[in-house]
Amino acid sequence: MRKFLKHAWTACAAGAVASGLALSGGAAQAANAPSVLTIGTLYASSGPFAVASKGQFEGLQYWADTVNKDGGTYVKAFKKKIPVKIIAYDDQSSTATATTLYNQLITQDQVNILIADFGSVLTSVGIPLAAEHKMLLIDPTGSGANFFTKKTDYLADVSIPSSTVWPLTLGHFLLGQKIQRIAIIYDSNDFDASQAETLKATLEKGGVKPVYYHGVPTSESNYTVLLHTIAAQNPDAVIEFGYAPNDIAFLRNLSSSGLHFKMTFTIFPGQLLDLMTKNVGAKALAYTYTYPTPPLVQTQKVTYGPNTAAFVEQFKAAKNAEPNFLDVAGYNTGLVVQDMLETAPAFTQLSFHQALMDMSGKTTTLLGDFKINENGAQLGELFSVGQLVPSGNGNKMVVVYPKEKATGTAVYPAPAQ
Amino acid sequence: MRNATGGTRYAVAVLATLAVAFVALPQVYGNQSVLFTMMTYMALAQGLNLVYGFTGYLPFGYVGFFGTGAYACSILVTFTGLPVLLCVIGGGLAALLIGLILGPLLRLSGAYFSIANLAASQIIYYVVSNEALKPLTGGPYGIKIDQVFAPTASYAAMLVVLLLTTALAAYFRLSRFGLGLRAMHQNPISAAVAGVNIVRARLVVWLVSATVAGLIGGVYAWNLSVFYPDAVFTLEISVFAIVFALFGGVGTVIGPLLGAGLLYTFYAAIGVSTPQYFQLLYGSLIVFLVLFLPNGLVSLLVRRKLHVL
Repeated sequence: MRKFLKHAWTACAAGAVASGLALSGGAAQAANAPSVLTIGTLYASSGPFAVASKGQFEGLQYWADTVNKDGGTYVKAFKKKIPVKIIAYDDQSSTATATTLYNQLITQDQVNILIADFGSVLTSVGIPLAAEHKMLLIDPTGSGANFFTKKTDYLADVSIPSSTVWPLTLGHFLLGQKIQRIAIIYDSNDFDASQAETLKATLEKGGVKPVYYHGVPTSESNYTVLLHTIAAQNPDAVIEFGYAPNDIAFLRNLSSSGLHFKMTFTIFPGQLLDLMTKNVGAKALAYTYTYPTPPLVQTQKVTYGPNTAAFVEQFKAAKNAEPNFLDVAGYNTGLVVQDMLETAPAFTQLSFHQALMDMSGKTTTLLGDFKINENGAQLGELFSVGQLVPSGNGNKMVVVYPKEKATGTAVYPAPAQ
Repeated sequence: MRNATGGTRYAVAVLATLAVAFVALPQVYGNQSVLFTMMTYMALAQGLNLVYGFTGYLPFGYVGFFGTGAYACSILVTFTGLPVLLCVIGGGLAALLIGLILGPLLRLSGAYFSIANLAASQIIYYVVSNEALKPLTGGPYGIKIDQVFAPTASYAAMLVVLLLTTALAAYFRLSRFGLGLRAMHQNPISAAVAGVNIVRARLVVWLVSATVAGLIGGVYAWNLSVFYPDAVFTLEISVFAIVFALFGGVGTVIGPLLGAGLLYTFYAAIGVSTPQYFQLLYGSLIVFLVLFLPNGLVSLLVRRKLHVL
């Protein structure tokens, strides 16, 4: 009995000491908590990536405003809410400038969280710098296949699937429609060329060899001659992979050339529909296929943050403007960071990364399922295939594939306009 | 002879100042990327000065050599496993080879040379970024050599290249060979009559300048380690090198260094502090300089009868 009491006393004492240490540790942690959480990022106010970059940045800023209105974001490591402050520099779409500015954010501003600029080109230069300084680079839209070739603790693609998986659904749709004569024209950059390559491989696996497969410079702005060259191959479907300015030029040239194909696909009508409609015209866009992205398609059931419809309402009320995909991507990046901070037990970059890995496969946000692999590549948030169908004075988006997400059936062959 | 000795001492002082400054600066300013990029532009402006300042040939496509060096170095790192410094030298040699192939362009002059050179750089860019060369250059997917990423070592290497380029400019400025170049620049026919081998001299300067750009590109690729063709073939690099060299004053040793150092500092400062006014401020400054200081900053010193190296 005496022995038992001695053990019990020892256990209680040890428990009290441990609780005291834990409490004092917690108090010390709270005392060490920064008064604001600094989030460093870049944007481009000029140059080829300006439109997309500013959209993404606007979405991230909107997220920061939203959480700050609520007193900040909860940080599990400090067990309290902390306001966020975005430190952002303008890289003017230049990789050389972006390099120095990423370094500025890491070494001079010593930001707590580092978020990359839009797209693969401006993200690329941040990757080795972040790894060198052992900082996790949160990558919203840099989907270059080159980035995700080996295991890393310092890179996570959060708001866009790796570009190599983008056209998988499109490939399956084309095979399902039994379209045999397919032409693929793509810009010679990582984003577009990797999609072209994946689509070609998917089609060839299904027994379809593209009748035309050709790369053009990213600066291409006149597709007239190319369109006639494609038409000479008599394709049923023409797939054009480019950035928004290329898609605009391609669709304009197609409209003015008098040529007609049974199916035409471009990327950006599904991301920047207003911009495309303004520049191409609703008539020229009619029956074009694309990847429909939020908010044009809605994710109803989410496990974190607002669903797409709720976000659109909130954004419209706050900004008095319709959000586009890049606004959603920027906002989603903030949401993922928020969830990460709420779950990371320690305020370290490695703990942040582990939190993202733990969230992977269990989290659904307004962009869809969040799923990253150990190389940092985003394998969730997959795109469907949609078609713009005339409605009133404009077009409405109809998801045509895969079946479980379809909101209508494809109009194939597309009627001549 | 006394002047030459004085000039040599002056050149040694410039080299020593550069070396001390760029060794000391990282101790007081932590953003090494800014300092690295500043050295890159100083070296490029100086390399361009070698050919433009001493022969009058303005290579608008100078970035072609830079990009060639970057890609040659990266390809060597990827496929040969050679020490990275040898790969950087390989970048310089690849640019030398391209310089030799483009040598006949020196038969042109003025704007025709500049345009032809610009076109040549674009040809190299499109070849490198072509999908068909994906197994070798990565094509449009870019190239990645992060296995050798070493910011401090590449910083030191860029300093060595900058010192080498400046030493070459000093040699051109002080040597008999450089005197021939200046004579040729002012009046090629008179220079030829006086015994200057015009074709050989031009070709030597052209190849030296190309090699230097290739070395700079190689070190730049080493520092960047993940990049796309646009990053090392963008015409912005040529334009910056030309503007920086002109701002400081071409045909001198310190002009391009001053020009690149000051303008890049200004560029980095307003780029960080007031990006919304960046284009306005930078553009206004360049217009002001072209109007009021067409011979560059060093002309202010020359007007005051100061000796400029």
